[in-house]
Amino acid sequence: MTEQNVVTNKGMVRAEFNFWVGKYMDKFYDNLENKKIVGNKCPKCSDVFVPPRQVCGKCNETIPLEQNWVDLTDTGTLKNYTITKWKITERGSRKVKDSIIGMVQIDGSNTAIIYKLLDVDPADVKTGMKVKIEWNDKTKGEPGDIKGFVKA
Amino acid sequence: MDKVGIVGYYYMKMSPDLIYGRYNLIFETVRGALDSVNLKKKDITTVISATNDYYDGRTISNAYCVEPAGAYLADESKAEMDGAFAAQYGLMRILSGNHKLAVVWGGSTPSCYPYDSAQLYQTDPTFERPIALVNNITAGGFQMRAYMEKYGVSAEDIAKVAVKNRKNAAKNPLANPEAQNANITVDDVLKSDILSDPVTELMYAAPCDGLAAILLAPEKQALKITDEPVWIKGVGSNQDPYYLGDRDLSECKSMEMAAKMAFDGAGITAKDVDFAEIFEQYAHEELILAEAIGLAEKGKANELNSEINGDIPINPSGGAIAGHAPFATGLMRIIEAVKQLQGKADGYQVKDPKVAIATGQIGFCAQNNILYVLEKGGN
Amino acid sequence: MGRQVAIASAGFCEHAVRRSDVSMPEMVKEAIDDCLSKVPSVGIEDIDMFVNGNMPAFEGASIPELWMTDWMGARNKPLMRVTTGGTTGGTVAIAGYYSVAAGLPGVDTVLAVAFEQQSQGDTSVGLSSVALGELTAIQSIGMPLQKMKRLVSAGAAIGIAAYQATNYMRKSKITEEDLARVVVQNRRNAAKNWYTHLKMPNVTIEEVLDTPYISYPLRFGMVCPASDGCCAMLFTTEEKAKDMADIPVYVNGVASVANETGIMGYNAGGGGQLDPSEQLGAQRSAELAFDQAGISFPGKEIDYAEVYAPFPNQELMWVEKLGLFETNTAPEMYANGTTAANGEFPINTSGGVNSTNAIGASAMERPAEAALQIMGKAGNQVPKTVHTSLGHGWGGIINLITMMVMADEPKRKFK
Repeated sequence: MTEQNVVTNKGMVRAEFNFWVGKYMDKFYDNLENKKIVGNKCPKCSDVFVPPRQVCGKCNETIPLEQNWVDLTDTGTLKNYTITKWKITERGSRKVKDSIIGMVQIDGSNTAIIYKLLDVDPADVKTGMKVKIEWNDKTKGEPGDIKGFVKA
Repeated sequence: MDKVGIVGYYYMKMSPDLIYGRYNLIFETVRGALDSVNLKKKDITTVISATNDYYDGRTISNAYCVEPAGAYLADESKAEMDGAFAAQYGLMRILSGNHKLAVVWGGSTPSCYPYDSAQLYQTDPTFERPIALVNNITAGGFQMRAYMEKYGVSAEDIAKVAVKNRKNAAKNPLANPEAQNANITVDDVLKSDILSDPVTELMYAAPCDGLAAILLAPEKQALKITDEPVWIKGVGSNQDPYYLGDRDLSECKSMEMAAKMAFDGAGITAKDVDFAEIFEQYAHEELILAEAIGLAEKGKANELNSEINGDIPINPSGGAIAGHAPFATGLMRIIEAVKQLQGKADGYQVKDPKVAIATGQIGFCAQNNILYVLEKGGN
Repeated sequence: MGRQVAIASAGFCEHAVRRSDVSMPEMVKEAIDDCLSKVPSVGIEDIDMFVNGNMPAFEGASIPELWMTDWMGARNKPLMRVTTGGTTGGTVAIAGYYSVAAGLPGVDTVLAVAFEQQSQGDTSVGLSSVALGELTAIQSIGMPLQKMKRLVSAGAAIGIAAYQATNYMRKSKITEEDLARVVVQNRRNAAKNWYTHLKMPNVTIEEVLDTPYISYPLRFGMVCPASDGCCAMLFTTEEKAKDMADIPVYVNGVASVANETGIMGYNAGGGGQLDPSEQLGAQRSAELAFDQAGISFPGKEIDYAEVYAPFPNQELMWVEKLGLFETNTAPEMYANGTTAANGEFPINTSGGVNSTNAIGASAMERPAEAALQIMGKAGNQVPKTVHTSLGHGWGGIINLITMMVMADEPKRKFK
């Protein structure tokens, strides 16, 4: 039993919860720290998951930890988006600026991840447009290493 | 499946803030259901609650509800899901033969907790939660855009659903007063504040305070309790995958499969349904779910005449948009369907219905769905 | 109405103080894999419905079954979530039972999963919020917080357990040595069971009595650990169980009766349980479950019992309250070896909650272990043949009791 990365969540009740990310996400975050995206592939249906998972839900197939890793690029396609002023973490508070939240399918993967779209005019956003990752200057091996996506 | 009857029910008028103590509300609700058919505490053999520790702000929240819910020395349990799922557990307990009268209650008081941000606690804590971009509202935005872009349905078509439900709510005396509006127009809905583009505030089933309770009994006992039981003919539930990126949000596969399970069990098809009470978190979700159930072809639910006197009335009570009391909403759909079947929906009665469906859901974009087929009993 | 239910299998994951090598869904999958590995003919595609539960506030995740859908294999299957605090595991098992007993069309085989990964959250935050509402109510009627803390469950379960222990000790005249003896039996048993947390093969009564008090009469060496772990059980119909398992275990009686809330009552009006060692709920639960299973003399008819006892005084109390032993005779049974693994009436040979406590899973591990003893597949199997066994759980604010009575023959009384 070896210890892996944790991700910390600040709770509303001012309690912090440390979630063990498990074996698959651990490898994902290690790569994220080096500004690399990895996914893993279902041995049965060949679907590629970003972030990687232990189980392909469609096939009920366990993806072995040591195999089926896929290196991916930092580019992707915008599958869906929504624009909101509301803050997610606080009741009834809103920000001055809209945030555009995008569902992005990383090229070569079969699922989509949800991040902010940066430096895009809401009027210019279209599903299907090509986007690319904007990395944080300092990466720490956590979800926030990806600042968001910008137009490719 | 043996016949199980819904023999009693109660829910109080919803409100953005009921100002009452939680335990008093539970007592009033459960007592109200028992009083509706002149039963007593001692008649209860099992009690199932539907609450959530996060919404109640207290661990093991059901432990404190034992006395007000009439569960003292009764066989008690809690389904941490929408009330409609708790009703399924109650139904299973009756069907097992171990119990003769089940109380199922559910509800919460969002006036006391931040409903939308509490939804963040449902997200994957190892990836999505630290970034904090997904909750029920942004998920609704994704879902509406996916539906509109896939089928070319316009925002006006979706706003019409909100208009219908808010007008229906105006006729439903128990609806949340903030949702009741007899004079609302499509323009009002489209011009209301944007929650998460393209969803506007008036398309959203805003959470409000409310609780609901129903009583279930086997056929033999049901007929002794009431002259007008409503029979549960079929039930089906199903769960979609979690990640929004894995799902085609323009449709609802879990509801398709839940409906199939329920219709097969009841031996009917969607064509036999006289009206539907659907738990929709958003106006567009009513269309998606109606299509999944089979009331309309995919992308065509907006062409249905779903008014109270229409071909297939949907949410004559106003649906969840008329008042979404988390964890009670599914139970309220069942109760509203029962009221219609009993001919007791004063002011919003559907003409002479025999078979109804009622649905419940939990999760983002209706991840987990349940559907009941209900049939009018008695004379 | 209803039909006979059988247990085809039960499985666990390895329990430890921190399962930091796995995420919550990965841990759950370990127990499911272990459960299904014991029934080779059953695949995840044969499962018709899933039941899931844990104590959500302890991990800081609300309704996590939605997230772990794929890990459970529950994609596009019916799934129900139940949770009732400490009894969550028992509640989940009972929900699994009812899902089969109901005979809903298309639902024959049900996988029930209960888990807790306490190392992720701050369990005392979760537990203090159990008491928080009560505290607020008491403060509003003028009782100082500090006094209140001494009286009720504020802070942790041990507060309420100590109160229960002193009540029980006063009535039954047991000694601290009696308590330590129970602990020694449990910890030594745990050493023989593969997945348990606190394994102490050589612990002695003296060593236990040499540890400091946490809250009189409970010493540090007597209380349960906080563990990460998961348990899974496979329920199915009588017919299908015969194909799946060599020795199917039939569930003949279940109950989960609720008593009054805590000590002060739900509204802090003082109407709750004045004596938490009285346990009306346990007595009523036992009555109901034994009646369904056609058991008239539990002490004679039951061969093996797993009772939920994080604290040793509770183990002594439960075996009496559930009718397994005469009142005030339990300490003697532990002293003369009756309850040992090779004794006449073995109790908790798994090591019990006293050695392993992944709270949400604990109350399911009791019926799971009791079923495995009948199958002959338990981690610390007793030498005698077990025909009828009992799995018990307590939780809530010591007010909810779960019971599952099972046997190698289908004897469920239809009503």
